[in-house]
Amino acid sequence: MTHISTPLSRRAFLAATGLAAAGGSALLAGCSDTLTPGAKSSDAGSASPASTAVPTDKKITLVVADADDTTMTPGLLAAFREKYPNITFKRQYTGWDDYLKSINTTMSADSAPDIAQFVSGMNNLVKGRLLLDVGAYGKAYGWTGKFPGLDQITFSADGKTAGTGALYGVPGGLSFEGVYYNKAKVKKLGLTVPPATVAELEEMFAKAKAAGETALVEGNLDGGLNHPFNVLLSVYLKPEDREAWAFGHKGAKITGPEAVKAATTLKRWVDKGYVTPKVNGTSDNDATAAFAEGKGVFRISGNWAAAAVAKGLGDNAGLFNMPPSARGGSVRTTGAGVYYCVSSKSKNPAAAAAFLDFCATKQASAVTAKAGFMAPDASSMPQQSGLLGDVLTSWQGIVKDSGLQPFVQNASTPTMPDTVTTQLQLLAGGKVTPEKFLAALQADFDQFHS
Amino acid sequence: MTTTTTPRATPPVHKGTGPPAGARTATRRRRRAVALLYVLPALLPYTLFAVLPALHTAYLSLFDWDGVTLPTFVGFDNYRRVATDPQLRAAAWHAGALIVFFSVLPISLGLVSAALVARRSGRRGTSLIRTLLFLPQVIPLVAVAIIWRWVYAEDGTLNQALRAIGLGHLTDSWLGSFTWSLPAVGLIGTWVVAGLCMVLFLSGTQRIDQEIYEAARMDGAGPVREFWSVTVPLLRPEIAVALSITVIAALSSFDLIYITTGGGPGNSTVVPGILIYRLAFGGGAVGLASALAVVLTAVIAVAVVVINRLSREAP
Repeated sequence: MTHISTPLSRRAFLAATGLAAAGGSALLAGCSDTLTPGAKSSDAGSASPASTAVPTDKKITLVVADADDTTMTPGLLAAFREKYPNITFKRQYTGWDDYLKSINTTMSADSAPDIAQFVSGMNNLVKGRLLLDVGAYGKAYGWTGKFPGLDQITFSADGKTAGTGALYGVPGGLSFEGVYYNKAKVKKLGLTVPPATVAELEEMFAKAKAAGETALVEGNLDGGLNHPFNVLLSVYLKPEDREAWAFGHKGAKITGPEAVKAATTLKRWVDKGYVTPKVNGTSDNDATAAFAEGKGVFRISGNWAAAAVAKGLGDNAGLFNMPPSARGGSVRTTGAGVYYCVSSKSKNPAAAAAFLDFCATKQASAVTAKAGFMAPDASSMPQQSGLLGDVLTSWQGIVKDSGLQPFVQNASTPTMPDTVTTQLQLLAGGKVTPEKFLAALQADFDQFHS
Repeated sequence: MTTTTTPRATPPVHKGTGPPAGARTATRRRRRAVALLYVLPALLPYTLFAVLPALHTAYLSLFDWDGVTLPTFVGFDNYRRVATDPQLRAAAWHAGALIVFFSVLPISLGLVSAALVARRSGRRGTSLIRTLLFLPQVIPLVAVAIIWRWVYAEDGTLNQALRAIGLGHLTDSWLGSFTWSLPAVGLIGTWVVAGLCMVLFLSGTQRIDQEIYEAARMDGAGPVREFWSVTVPLLRPEIAVALSITVIAALSSFDLIYITTGGGPGNSTVVPGILIYRLAFGGGAVGLASALAVVLTAVIAVAVVVINRLSREAP
């Protein structure tokens, strides 16, 4: 039996908690930046003197933050070091999800990395002037002639609109959407690929379906129908309308007749049973796995899936570019890239810019291609056979026609990835009409850009 | 601890008797300080890492903030939006439905199985049963969610089982179905929590004197009567604990749903936790997300207080 003569009364306990809390907040108040969120707007922004001269006599350390789980980023860093042995890199790799969550705070810190992989959502950093405007370096190095897809990392001063304003980085490697096909099945069905138009592709779907095959293997549990949807938008919309919307230009609309045609086409593919049955219950990865195992005839997805598909189907794997809406039209598809940007707090912007420029070199192309990405300099990519050869040919066609357009969900608003996924599930589930589907995307757009 | 320094023979404290009031207050104050010293190692980290961040969240909920640039003070505007957003209302409904799967089902299952075990006089094998039942609690929720994604997949275990017993026409793509995704996700919760409830109740029944069961049986009580008149009332404290834990799990659920459906298809499995995550990390609406988090915390706190009040009342 214990006799506690002075129990810690509730009041004393609360007082103590309060005291500790007060002490803690005083601690925080001491560095009030921590308590008051938001970046101090530094006036760093544009790099005024654009000297491409990288000092080779002094030791420079560049911190690189990225979420690239391929061999590309480490490979590029290593290749760059061979050229500039005085520059060392400190690489901070973070898994994709954690990177998305933490990169904005990482870049706001005084110890921000010099170079960071750019991901959508980081355009908020533009407004906070935390990214370096590399336009002057771009001019000095001539980046417009070296890199495709620079418009995707060009932003207005408030960071809300892409494709206009200042340049904030370059792509290290790019990726694009194409149409994978199973050569053995295409042969068995007597189809001749590539089709010349979307309508011809759809006829092939119908034949495959009639033969009891899944014509188009997709998975929409996590919104994978955005692959065909984005590609159909690229095909049907005028390039300027397509980009204006994806880049968040004021007054842009995705509710016009061309967009309705894209959404209706996708819905028809689902309704006619061309697409994987119960597509809402299959994940995008599982769809790739199924296709690689020999299920289905076609799959619209990005070149990042090429390694998995080639491993599964071997010589039976092929890829062609999405055909245009009318015979003889130019190649247009959707794609993105691993972009690198520079912190406005970097003490060695010239060295960082030299790395960016290095990404367009022939040495870089070899590294990029090996990692499964498309090099900015398509012509210098090493020749490949089989599926990877198809991927390379398709990429060269896209670069020739300047046909790479941004994903609608990545560029237009921060909430768009979730909205697109949700709405595509409703569309595929027959819960909304194509018109209502597009109106919901537009509503998200208008809320952010109004 | 303080007891050792306190003479057992402290005279009873009456007004006007005993040592002078000033001296008494001084001793009491000193003892209180000593007591606080003991609490401090726990109190300090708790305050720093739980209380202050919570207060900070409440503070952030008064701002419109994208997570990077300077925030604007908006007062209670975020709370007004929380109250009016139709998507949030749907999320609240789903969380309510999850209570059925996370609390009602596992507690009912746990009570019945505990009663069955308690009726047996010999208790051999109980610890084995307990270990097996508790297993889902030991697996990380993310792993649980991935396992169940395979179970529910188009070619998953569940559909294979249905086909094997000739019920192939019942198969569905469970997580992709607008009708079945919420119950499907809920049942994962039942699977996870049921073991915990059973273990709680099993240990509770060991506290119940076997003689009470014998007496009940002597009075002619059947198994059902025994269950309602002996097991359930005597397990009241355990039920309260189980209810608190599971209701919290249901209302604050996130990881299970994030991994299995991500809130889909459409919005049919969206819960408040998913919305907070989407708003804060994807949508760049940290203030609104904080406001939602504060409201969710308040709702959970109220629920727990109500459960404890109800369970304390005399049967």
